[in-house]
This record gives sequence, structure tokens and C-alpha cells, in this order.
Amino acid sequence: MKFNIPAACLLIGLVIAASVIVARPGASYSYQDRESSFAQTSKQHPAGTDALGRDRLVRVAASLLLGLTGALLASAATTAAAAGVGTLAAFGPASIGWSAMLVCDVFLALPWLFLLMMVRSAFPLTTSPEGSAAITFLVLAGLGWPACARAVYRGALRLKGAEWMLQARAQGLRRSQIIRSVIPNLIPLLLPQFIICVPAFIIAEANLGALGLGIGEPLPSWGGMLLELGNSATLLQTRWIYLPVVLLIVFLLLLETVAVEA
Amino acid sequence: MRRTPHLLICAAVLLTATITKTIAAQATTRLPGELVWTIGYDPKTFDPAKVDDQESELVRYLTAGVLLRFNRATQSVEPRLAEHWNVTPDGKTIVFKLREGLQFSDGSGLTSRDVAWSIRRVLLPAMGAPVAEEFLSPTVVTVEAPDARTVVVHLPQRVIGIGKVFDEIAIEPADRPSEGRVTAGPFVVADYRRSQYVRLRPNTHYAGRDSAGKQLPHASGIRLDILENPEQQIRLFQRGEYDLIDSIPPDYFELLKQTSGSAVRDLGPSLNTEQMWFNQASGAPIPAWEKSWFQNRAFRVAVSQAIHRADLARIAYQGHATPAYSFISPANGTWYNHQISAPHTDVAAAKISLASAGFHWNGSVLQDSSGHPVKFSILTNAGNAARLKMATLIQQDLGALGMQVNVVTLDFPALIERLMHTEDYEACLLGLENVDPDPNAMMNIWLSSSSNHQWNPSEKTPATEWEAEIDREMNRQASSVKDVERKQAVDRVQQIVADEQPFIYLVYPNVLVAVSSRLQGVQPAVLEPSLVWNVESLYLQGTR
Repeated sequence: MKFNIPAACLLIGLVIAASVIVARPGASYSYQDRESSFAQTSKQHPAGTDALGRDRLVRVAASLLLGLTGALLASAATTAAAAGVGTLAAFGPASIGWSAMLVCDVFLALPWLFLLMMVRSAFPLTTSPEGSAAITFLVLAGLGWPACARAVYRGALRLKGAEWMLQARAQGLRRSQIIRSVIPNLIPLLLPQFIICVPAFIIAEANLGALGLGIGEPLPSWGGMLLELGNSATLLQTRWIYLPVVLLIVFLLLLETVAVEA
Repeated sequence: MRRTPHLLICAAVLLTATITKTIAAQATTRLPGELVWTIGYDPKTFDPAKVDDQESELVRYLTAGVLLRFNRATQSVEPRLAEHWNVTPDGKTIVFKLREGLQFSDGSGLTSRDVAWSIRRVLLPAMGAPVAEEFLSPTVVTVEAPDARTVVVHLPQRVIGIGKVFDEIAIEPADRPSEGRVTAGPFVVADYRRSQYVRLRPNTHYAGRDSAGKQLPHASGIRLDILENPEQQIRLFQRGEYDLIDSIPPDYFELLKQTSGSAVRDLGPSLNTEQMWFNQASGAPIPAWEKSWFQNRAFRVAVSQAIHRADLARIAYQGHATPAYSFISPANGTWYNHQISAPHTDVAAAKISLASAGFHWNGSVLQDSSGHPVKFSILTNAGNAARLKMATLIQQDLGALGMQVNVVTLDFPALIERLMHTEDYEACLLGLENVDPDPNAMMNIWLSSSSNHQWNPSEKTPATEWEAEIDREMNRQASSVKDVERKQAVDRVQQIVADEQPFIYLVYPNVLVAVSSRLQGVQPAVLEPSLVWNVESLYLQGTR
């Protein structure tokens, strides 16, 4: 049974709902209503407020949009970089192919979490919250391409040995012409890589944020919101505190369903 | 296929190890009349001379016989093994007269020879005893024992608060260091199981007696369970497994209050402070115009006036913190300056102050006289929820002045690297733990030449006149023999700091404790160990 269409519909529905919540007049993810710390559900705050009196529903919706946008862009950058490196390695001279794959292996062997922490701590401190979000996803993209590049390299090698490729060469096509023909043939490989990277980057941002090293306050992020769950004493304050984690799980499941069946 | 059973076995072993560790402490049987509470980790040492961590220090406090004891409630020094003591007017010679008939826990006699040996031992450079540093020049300190009950200590120079130093020196049998197994204090180390517990038994030869003449200690023993999880600690306290909790995080305090309201107590402000400061170091790799803001008194005062400290205490600490305006807490009755005049929350006054210093507003954005928008970051350590909340609240408070503030959290090593080495930061929010109420212990922060003078470390000469005055006043309190003069000097430093705001003090976190209704004799104090400072007088109801 195919679940990808209902999952995609639900995903789109979530994104539309989040956009409406964030865009509605008076909605602010950063305004601190200091008299309403951990407020319960009300007309003004349908999902209550966080410890600083900020509207939880708006923050969750903004996290969803920010996480998805950042992950999509990072995934696009990763896939593009992987396509470039993988194709170049497969069709370039053997020494370039060997070196490119060695670099990939070295990247894959790095302890990425520590590397992320190191890179994150080297940010300029004056980076705005928006800048920190952009850099966080850029760093994730920068560290995410090697695995994808390896897959592309293998796919491109298979294409290189294909009969139509031999025929193209025999007919005297230039290398640039051949590569132009290769890219469309790699799309069935690149598309799943792109889709798989989206939830992976969302989880990576959440991990980094849960360590307190992700997107800067007051910009909402999955990781920043999950930090609230680290203190079991606050879990009893309101059941709405579980909203970010529940929504994140649902969101990731939907993304995975779409990715697996795509 | 063969891998699955191996994985299952590994998982089972790991699970068993975790569960075993978790329940080990609980599974230990409580002896009749035994007091039980927790410590966060294994003591690093039981040798009282080598103590340099909090849990080892607690074990030493509970077991050591000392010449003098610093009373945590009255904040005064009282004789213990010493019958009396006196210091010569120049502060260089201290004479102790021991009480008669003193004995160690093994029944052997305690004489001045044991005392002299114990003091000499902590002074040995090879021992690396942290307490030795408090003698300033430990290698030239000499100790004599002219008769069996007299001990004379000669110091090369006067040491402020020398009485309290002897609170940290355990008297052990000469030439027989026992790691707490033979002591002259109320308890003796009886058993230690790594990662499980430390068990202490009472010293039947202890010299102390209560007001009714009854032998101390009253409790039949102490068990310190090693448990680092505060949630589990609270759950076991609620079940009656533990008799006290000496430090409860504010969130858990509220949780415990809901179920065991009468057991929890907020003792008011601690000696610790949470503060923020701006980087004023001349060599810091930040733009010159930012340095000029940070070195501008009006700017710092305006920032201080814009911060709603009451909100920080109420929201970041659930109301269990006290707004702070000085480096000395009101809990430190002797040294707190009650007459201090400090900038309180007043956003309108802050705007006037900024305008008079040449700042102006372009729309809602604050700019300096050169047109640079006022924008900076506040650095704090990742993983401290209260500090992150405070920084985010301050971010909004300063937004009201038109300042754009970025909150940056870094892991501790990266933070320290920026603070202590590269000096590449603009503002920082951190806390300071003060265990010693005497301001002399803060010399390393206030002297401009010190590397811990955070806003401008290791100055060759004081960069400003007010820092030079702080240097003079701190040196005056350190060298004065008159307490009144010392107090005047420290009061003056508090006022200078309030006027100049090199550290913008935010809150004093409150001391939060829980005491079982069965535990008798408790007199909570703000100074550590706040609940068990009079451990020899504690007992469980119905067991005395």
C-alpha cells in the first residue's frame, strides 16, 4: 500500500497550517509575556506559553518552517555538491577520482558532532540569530555531502561503462557533452539522496540545538524547543510542553515515508 | 544471524549494570538511627590533607577533629580541640592550648605532637594540600609543641582570617595517617563502596557533649549514598529513604513543594552571584568603538538600569533567587554594605544616561556618536538553562533601549578559551561560587593585576582611577589589623563597584534544601554544609 501521497498531503497541510499560524496578525515568536510563564491553554495562547511567556504554538510553527526551509536548502546544496564531486571523480582522470573519494572517506571518518561543535564555536559572536540559522544549515550541508558523493560516484561509474556511453564516445562526443547527458541520468539517484538528507538535517539541527549550540535565541528551532524537555521538573507544568517533540516525530515520519516511497 | 544473540547479551549486560548502579544505593540497608543523604560523586580522597573537591571536603568536615571550627550559623570561629587560642598583635604568632584528655577514635591520646605533625604535614610542598596556600608562604611557617597541650604556629606574615584556615586542618595521629579511619572528629570512615556509598560510624571517644552533658554525636552513623541524579534523589527523599537534600534546583524545589510542602525550605540568598560584564581589555580583538562603549561608565550603568532583575529571579529561578546589586550577598551579614547606592531598574533614566553620553536613536535603533548601531553579543555556557533564560530576558530588556543583543551559548572549554586566552568576546554572563564569606578570598578578582580580573585581566597598572582605588582598598583590608578598618575598605569597594558597574550583578541564587520531618536538631545555614554543619547534634526522631 502506498502511503506517500497521504503523507505528502499531510506534510503540505502542516506547512500551510504553520504558515497561517506564523503569519496571523499579532503572532510573535519572540515576545515575552513575563506574567504568563508556562501559561495554560487560552484563547490568546492556544498551546500555552514557554518558560519566558512566549507563545508555544507560534514558536513550534516557526520552528517547523525554519527547520524545513533550512533543511531543504542545505539538502539542495549537499546534493548539488555531491553531484559535482561524484561526476567529476567518475569522469575525470583517475588521480582526481581517487583523491576525491579519499577526501570523502576522511570526511566520513570525522566525528561529525564534535566537528559541528568546533565549527559552531568558531562562529563570529556578532552573528545574528538568522545568520546563526543560515550558518548552522550551511555547516550541515558542508559536512553532509561526502556520503552522497560516494553514491553518486558509484552511479556515475556505472553510467560511464554503459553501452550508450561507449557509443557516444565512439561517435566522438566531447567530455563536456557527455557529462551534460550524464546529469539527467543521475536524477533518479540524486532525488532520493536529496529527500533523505532533509530529515537527516532536521535531526542534526535538533541535536545541535538540544546541546545548546544551534540556532541563536530568540529564533525558535527544534533543538531549542527540545531543550525544555531536558528538565523533568518542567514536564509536569503543562502537557503542551510535549507538543514540539510530538510534532517533530510526526513531521519526520511523514518525511521518511515520502522519502522511502519516492 | 549469529550477531543477534551477542547484541542481546551486550544489551542485557549494559542494562543490568545500569540498573545495578541505580538501585545499589537504595538496596543498602539503613542501620537503626543512621542518617542517610546523598553526595553527587565518589570522594576523590579520604586523606584530609589532600582534599580539593566538594564531596571529599564534606567527608572531612564530618570526620575531622579540628582545633577551631567556623560556625556556619553565627559565622564566627569557635574552639574545638583547642580550649582557647590567641594571636599576637602583629598577627604572626598563634598559640593554641589543647583541651585536656583528648583522644582519637582508637582510644590513643591526642597531644600537641599530633597537632604539630598534622599542621606540618599539610604545609609540606610534596603533599600539595590546597589549604597550605592559605598560609601565603607555607614553606616558611614553623610549628612548635613546647608541651603536651600547647602548640605555637609562627607565620612569616599576617594572614587575614587565619582562624578559619584551621577549620580545614584535620588533626591526625602523628606518623599514622589513616584516611579518616582514626579521627578526633564526631565520625569515622567505616566503609566505602565505590559508586555506592560511604558509611561513617560515630567516634565513641569524641570530646564533644551537648548542653545536657550527653555524649555527642547523637546519630548512630551516617550513610552517604553516591547518586548524581537529582530527580531520583528527590523521589527517594519522598519515599523516606533520605533524610535531607542540601541543594535542590529551583524547578525541582517547586515539584517537591507540591508533594512535601513542609519538608522544603528556601533559606534565602546564597553567597553565590550571577553577573554579566563587558570586555574592557585594551588588547581585545573587538572593534575600537565597541571598546569605547564598554569602557564608558554611562553605558554600563544604563545597561544595568535596563535589566529587570526581579523578572530574572522570578522566571529564570522560579522566584528562588534574589536581585543582586553587589558582589557581597545580604546573606553575608558581616561584610554586606547595607548603605550601598546602586542603579536600580529605571529604563527612562537609562535612556537619559545614554543620551548624555552621546548615544542617539535612529528610529528604534540605538547608535553611538559615530553612527555605529549598538549591537553586541552576550556569551554564556551551554547547558545552563537558568543562564540561557536570563540572557534571553536581558536580550529583550536591552531591546527596549534600542540595543541589538545576540545570545551565544558555547561549550565550557570554548567559552574559557575566549575569556581567558583570546579575549574575543563582547559581554559574558556567568556565575561565581563563593564558599568563603571573607572578601579577602576575592582578592584575585578585584586586584587589577590579577588574571581573574575578568573585565580587564592582568593590567600592568590600573587602567582607571577607580580600579586603582579598588586595588588600594582591597590591599588595605588585607593588611589592616582592625576589623572596623577592613569593613570600611570593603564597603568602599562595594560602592565603587556599584557606581562603575564593571560587573553587573543580576541575582543571588537562593539556598534551597529539604529536611525530613524525622530529622531533629537541624539549624539550616546559608554557608556549606548548610544542613549538616552541626552534624554531631543531628539525630532521627525516636532514636536518641
